[in-house]
Amino acid sequence: MITEFLQDALFAAIAAIGFAAISDPPRKAYLYCATIAAAGHSVRFLLMHADTAGMHIVTASALAALITGTMAVLLSTRAGMPAETFLFPALLPMIPGIYAYKTFGGLILCLMHADESSFPHYFYLFAHNGMTCLFILLGMTVGATVPIFLLKRISFRATRDAAHHE
Amino acid sequence: MTTTNPTTSETVTARAAARFISDYACRLLECGATCVRIEKNVNRIARTWHLTAAMTITPAHISLTVSDTGGSDTFTLITAVSHTSVSYDMNTSLSRLSWHIADNATDPARATAMLHEITNRPRPDKWKTLPLVALANASFCRLFGGDATAMATVFAATTAGYALKLILSEAGMDLRPTLILCAFVSSVLGATDGLFSLGSTPDIAIATSILYLVPGIPFLNAFSDMIAGHYTCSFSRLAGAAILTCCLSAGLCGGMLLMGAGMF
Repeated sequence: MITEFLQDALFAAIAAIGFAAISDPPRKAYLYCATIAAAGHSVRFLLMHADTAGMHIVTASALAALITGTMAVLLSTRAGMPAETFLFPALLPMIPGIYAYKTFGGLILCLMHADESSFPHYFYLFAHNGMTCLFILLGMTVGATVPIFLLKRISFRATRDAAHHE
Repeated sequence: MTTTNPTTSETVTARAAARFISDYACRLLECGATCVRIEKNVNRIARTWHLTAAMTITPAHISLTVSDTGGSDTFTLITAVSHTSVSYDMNTSLSRLSWHIADNATDPARATAMLHEITNRPRPDKWKTLPLVALANASFCRLFGGDATAMATVFAATTAGYALKLILSEAGMDLRPTLILCAFVSSVLGATDGLFSLGSTPDIAIATSILYLVPGIPFLNAFSDMIAGHYTCSFSRLAGAAILTCCLSAGLCGGMLLMGAGMF
């Protein structure tokens, strides 16, 4: 399990760096992205693993995002960047992309199978994937942004010192 | 009616301040900032000039009213947001600019020059991100339990799809048909793992081949705005992100249909 845990952290860090590149972060942000993505994703892995906590993906994502958000806010002053600069790219590996497109897939299949026997099955797939996606996103965002709002004095002043050094 | 800035002894009119602040807020929105960040930075600048600012933010427009502390001089501007392209580098620079203005009592003319300097900086070459994005999506495939073959397939599918996205973006194509085409190409290539029986996790290869297209930042911004109480912008951003997801799902469905693969 330790190998799986480390692998999860490593691949989450690589994924965060790559996806962060799309959103043009400052060069210095990549290291922070990788670090907090590795921490957040591997914590979620532990929380969801049956041998440890065995939590539901929604709860595990919210708690992992809370850790990610707290780390991002605490590091933002040191980095001299808004916390979102590396927080949001670091959360990207946890975005429920597969649930998102399966929601639309389920919807399309609902429309294609109008008969009473198969429609409920596809509607179930649509609703299940849609709700899971929605609540993961909600849980993640609440978890990640709560530290930003709770630690306002840090999170909205992070760029102040850097502004004087420019 | 003018307001005197006690630090610089220069007068700052509501009109001059509004023009700068409106431009500043638009650039911040365009580079993917959350509403709460825009509001905080704008209020910081307005306070420096002894003015108050109130805004309505939507993804397409910013409506801003700036007034002096007595409320006798009020200036309202509605500015269109030109295009949205997430750039956290610019977001960081603009946030630093707000502190620079606040701490040095910079006047609107100088602040405008600094804003132009930031917004006119050359953007990095998107093509350089191609291998990073492909590697990221291959890693994503591994996180979902894909084997080495699936990772290699996803790497190739992402390279082709993302390259197409860059070409179509440079050609000026709308993002929605672009996503349909890119998802189609990536899913067709992602399905080759199963088609030629190359690896043991072909379903993971096809499912993760398009994940680089999922609009993650717009989804996160939408929910962040919702938590901050900016419901209009939140639901607009959510609708935008849902439409983009719908487009990539359509492309994926097309690719799966062509390759005879199932989604569920």
